[in-house]
Amino acid sequence: MIMFLIKKSDVLEIAKELGKEYQVLGPVVDTDSGQTFFEKTEPELIQLKAPIPSVPPKYTVFPQIETLMRYRYDRESKAVEIRELYEAKPKALFGLRSCDLSGLLCLDRFFLGQEFVDEAYRVHRKKMFIVTNTCVTPFKNCFCVCTDSGPAAEEGYDLNLTELDDVYLVEAGSDKGRELAERMGLEKADESYAVKKKEAVDKSVSLFEEFATDSKAWISRVMNRVTTGFIREDVWEYIGDQCFECGACTFVCPSCSCFNIVDVNNADGSSERLRTWDSCSYEGYSRMAGGHNPRKPVEDRRNKRFFCKLSYSQMKKYLRPGCVGCGRCAWVCPGNIGLPKVVEYVRRETHK
Amino acid sequence: MKQKHGVCTFCGTGCGHFLAVESDTVTRVFPSQNHPVSKGRLCVRGWNIHELLTTKERITVPMVREDGVLRECTYDEAISKVVDVLSSLKSRPSEMGFLASPRATNEETYLFSKLGRAVFNTNNISLDSESGHRNSLNVLHEGAGFPGMNCPVEDIRKAEFVLVLGIDITKQNPIIGSEIHLAAQNGTQVVTVDSRRTQIAKLSNDFLQIHPGSNTLFLGALGKAVIDQKLAAADFIASAVEGYDDFAATVAGLTEDQIVSGTGISYDDIKKIARKLAAANTAMAFFSSGISGLDEETIRCLFNVFAITGNIGKEGSGLNPVAGLNNLQGGYDMGAAPDLLSGFQSLEDVKVRSAYAAEWGSEPPAIPGRSIPELLEDESTPLKALVVSDHDEGIIRYADRLKEIDFIAYIGAFRNPFTEYADVVIPVASYIETDGTFTNTERRIQLSEKKVEAPDGVLPGWNVYTMIARKAGADWNYSSAEDVMNEIVKVTPRYAGVSYDRLRSRGIAGIQWPCDGNNPEGTPFFSLEKAGGKLKCLALSGDFEVKTADPDYPLLLMVGKAQHFWHQNNLMKKTYIPLREYNATLLDYPEGFVEINSADAYELGVRNHWTVRVVSLSGSMDVAVKISDDVKPGTAYSPYFVQDMIKKFLLGHTNILRQGEDATIPVRIEKV
Amino acid sequence: MKVTTIVNVPEVVTIDEIREEIKDVKTFYLSFDKKEYQDTFKIRSGQFVMCTVFGSGEFAVSLPPSPENDRFHLTVKKVGKVTTALHELEPGDKLGIRGPFGNGFPFEEIKGKNVIYVAGGIGLIPLRSSIVHVLQHKEEFGRVIVMHGAQTPEALMYKDNLKEWQNFDGFETYITVDNPTPDWTGETGFVHTLFDKANLPVENTVAFVCGPPIMFNTVIGELMKRGISDESIYSTLERHMKCGVGKCQHCAIGRTLVCTDGPVYTFRQIKTLGEEI
Repeated sequence: MIMFLIKKSDVLEIAKELGKEYQVLGPVVDTDSGQTFFEKTEPELIQLKAPIPSVPPKYTVFPQIETLMRYRYDRESKAVEIRELYEAKPKALFGLRSCDLSGLLCLDRFFLGQEFVDEAYRVHRKKMFIVTNTCVTPFKNCFCVCTDSGPAAEEGYDLNLTELDDVYLVEAGSDKGRELAERMGLEKADESYAVKKKEAVDKSVSLFEEFATDSKAWISRVMNRVTTGFIREDVWEYIGDQCFECGACTFVCPSCSCFNIVDVNNADGSSERLRTWDSCSYEGYSRMAGGHNPRKPVEDRRNKRFFCKLSYSQMKKYLRPGCVGCGRCAWVCPGNIGLPKVVEYVRRETHK
Repeated sequence: MKQKHGVCTFCGTGCGHFLAVESDTVTRVFPSQNHPVSKGRLCVRGWNIHELLTTKERITVPMVREDGVLRECTYDEAISKVVDVLSSLKSRPSEMGFLASPRATNEETYLFSKLGRAVFNTNNISLDSESGHRNSLNVLHEGAGFPGMNCPVEDIRKAEFVLVLGIDITKQNPIIGSEIHLAAQNGTQVVTVDSRRTQIAKLSNDFLQIHPGSNTLFLGALGKAVIDQKLAAADFIASAVEGYDDFAATVAGLTEDQIVSGTGISYDDIKKIARKLAAANTAMAFFSSGISGLDEETIRCLFNVFAITGNIGKEGSGLNPVAGLNNLQGGYDMGAAPDLLSGFQSLEDVKVRSAYAAEWGSEPPAIPGRSIPELLEDESTPLKALVVSDHDEGIIRYADRLKEIDFIAYIGAFRNPFTEYADVVIPVASYIETDGTFTNTERRIQLSEKKVEAPDGVLPGWNVYTMIARKAGADWNYSSAEDVMNEIVKVTPRYAGVSYDRLRSRGIAGIQWPCDGNNPEGTPFFSLEKAGGKLKCLALSGDFEVKTADPDYPLLLMVGKAQHFWHQNNLMKKTYIPLREYNATLLDYPEGFVEINSADAYELGVRNHWTVRVVSLSGSMDVAVKISDDVKPGTAYSPYFVQDMIKKFLLGHTNILRQGEDATIPVRIEKV
Repeated sequence: MKVTTIVNVPEVVTIDEIREEIKDVKTFYLSFDKKEYQDTFKIRSGQFVMCTVFGSGEFAVSLPPSPENDRFHLTVKKVGKVTTALHELEPGDKLGIRGPFGNGFPFEEIKGKNVIYVAGGIGLIPLRSSIVHVLQHKEEFGRVIVMHGAQTPEALMYKDNLKEWQNFDGFETYITVDNPTPDWTGETGFVHTLFDKANLPVENTVAFVCGPPIMFNTVIGELMKRGISDESIYSTLERHMKCGVGKCQHCAIGRTLVCTDGPVYTFRQIKTLGEEI
């Protein structure tokens, strides 16, 4: 691992350098609302120390609504034209947190790594430069230590920043990253910095709320229960009663990727095929045209999502949980049944 | 900053959200973490609002009907036609009507009402749906001088006792339901009183499944239980409540037998609830305010019970009618009623009339008009012209009567089946294409600023109304929505301190009225101490009778909002995912359904999805059976969302349905 | 020869002919506009395609034609918005096709075995492909028993094919209806009541089952009662699909995605999917 150093006051120079070739996106805090966004911005406005953004940056590779293709079928002349539509500019994600990077890697494995490659995703993801930022203190609701996705990113980045005293340690995780650091003439860091980084990460881990460290063992124990199928129906009914079926958990989850496809007609006779975010929390998600709905009761949907997140989608194939421990599902849920709460209820039931 | 803060315009909760705009189109919606109402949450509608905002189903060109067909024309031609017809009726103002929209912005509704009153001399101005909300406002106005929800949503956590009365709140206003659920988890005693077991009932500490139509009796019994157990707040009553003795006398007359047979709840259980209510330092009540909202008598009774237990007029306590539509409260605030001017001021109040004259140049017409639904129902009154703003009723009632009206003008942004009845159609910009304010159910005025350009040539509502007025000869000079608000605040004491600058300075929080010299930062909760004066226990008719079934019609049918999306019906049809969710029920039961208990189904010998005939004294309908134990034996429930059902059966019972939540129709169910 | 799977952008096909099968079910004979696809579009029995009705939407539909020497066609029942729009089209109209997707029924692997087909109602549509393919290579298989049941005589699918199979020497064909009309001379009763009559083989046998969910459990139960193992019973599962390529996850059942891992599963697999089907 090649490591470099950069003065704290100069760290945004990296973003500026990236700005020459890429569209730079980074965390910015909105003054009116106090909310953190991760979005296109001028490099000098990035606030690296901002809390995790309220919505994960998955929209950069998987937009909430996008047109996949446009077509026109003229019934008179029987002529058909179809045009694929996705195009994307090269993007640099600067200051991504490790949980969000884990989510992005989950999406990579899913969209790019299975039987078929998703074209739209591939185009959006193609030319991307990722600079992650180690969380030297955790934020409210975080529990990445339980899902092995933080507080420091371990793979998948081009450069990883860690704040240490008066410098940032810049680790190059890829050739692209190393080249940029060398191009900028950054000073090389010696081995002692690896030690310093470990100390900073350990300190960060110790600062996690009791819930997270306490739950560390529980999430893996619950995962075990999930994979062996020993969770009673009434636990799911209890959880399902509290579900408001809003879909928020899936929309803010960095690794959720379900979508809906719909064809809409324009006034001029052409049509567009749109792709929008969808959620398995909805009743209509699994409903078939003839009326049969295998997942009609809400508890079945809660059950399914939990199993999918902790077991089926990533664990079975890639041996890591689909959950990245960002804690967002906990604060967006109107019914207060985010993943940590579900783990708590399951744990309570299995320990009666 | 590409993310722009806005307010969701589906239901009356008014959640904050951020919309991301790229290339002049909305690409993302996400929650507003620190918004005082939503605190980072959104419901299925709010999360998919980007589908509505990017729909192609818009009215983009003015149209005029010629030879039975709508043809495109210019704004000028359409507006001229409207003005010609309305001007010809100026001497007979009772023959025209203005149907305002509970979805339009405050500025638009204000100008719409001003158009009717100042330009065309009529007071036949009203909102259509949610007439139940008026009942709530009337009661709160009469009893406390405060025609609006007493508490802000974020104070729900401060209540030690929450009563949810006859409202399926987690489906109708999910985020308010969420707050109540979280409060319950935090120790608040939540009591749900309803005839159906709704989701909030499952999440409450106590659920009292009363017989349909017995809300008033229940509340009377609750009042009696408070008084019998000497739990009334004596000091508070002495200093701040009038009319206690009359109320006490009215409920004293109730007997235990009457209570038990009428509500189906034992008096002991009611006494237990009364004790919980009295023991709580702070208590709130939530009830529906709309098509199946409570009727006025019931709300009066509720008011009295809360008044005598000292739970109106202080922080964390009060009566909270929940508006189902995003600007329903705002609509009433802007005077869209035949007998009101803005700010719930009476049309007939001399002082108010002269304040208006100072702004408008002349007083509004003096004689109150009639509401549009009333006019449409009354076949004896001639109605020659109707101007409709942004009508959202996917199901159009009074379709036959509408066909008879000589002239109908429709002004709106989204395509709507209503335009089939219109002679002139005028497009306006949607709410993200212009500035405007909305007032949510908690009296919070929130500014929504323009985010994208309107489709080519489409003008904002305030501009269109100005053009109509000027064409009719009135000297209106608004050049922005802000101009309109600046006038509103001059004639509306409760809005006096509001301005776009002040709203902007408050960031994402908006401002709750009254906002005036005494309350420059708005008024989160109704404080009796600050307002001064006393609460008035309201007179009751003393009629606690509950409709019962009889051998010919042994089931009591309740009618209500089936799906949580019903009120967003026309807007829902423009989305994809919420429409799919809405359709999940509609497609399973295309003719509608009647929900009955499994015991009743067994007796009748019917199974799920079988067609049955529901027969009442005035009509019948064939619908599918839906077996559910959410209703008690002897009661049935039918949702208000299928066109055929409404036309064939429910319309014939409009008088009963006016009773709102207490509306029950004795029916019998026959196999077909 | 290059074998193509059309993944993202549909290829345009023309409707050459439309045949009414039973109430609300039509067969559409299609041909690719681009000539090269006529040769390179190779399917396996049990696979499906995503069919675009321009202006309306896309839906998943199983492929009934045999992989060899059979006109490319789709048989579709009118159930929802898109299929209703499809039923209003005429010969000459265009559709879009993406695919073929899915894993398909085993073919090479079952050579030499006895094959039992149990089809309920429109469940005969996906099975037809395998039946015709096996018919084309009958000598490579053992006994082949085709059983088809429908609610009424009118509702029997592919009546021409049924006649063909009844007359085909190598096949043992049985047909039954739940509610016979007065002039019905064949068997009556649910399809599993044919099992005894057919004297089903047990050793070295596979069974392919397809039909409405209600029929599913009874039929499989009866097959297993007679000793056929759950690893030898195949079925094709249906789920709401949007992308067909394993991305949108609408078709997920427990740990599997029906569009890529399925739609054909053995009953043993179905039992361990992790969710009820």
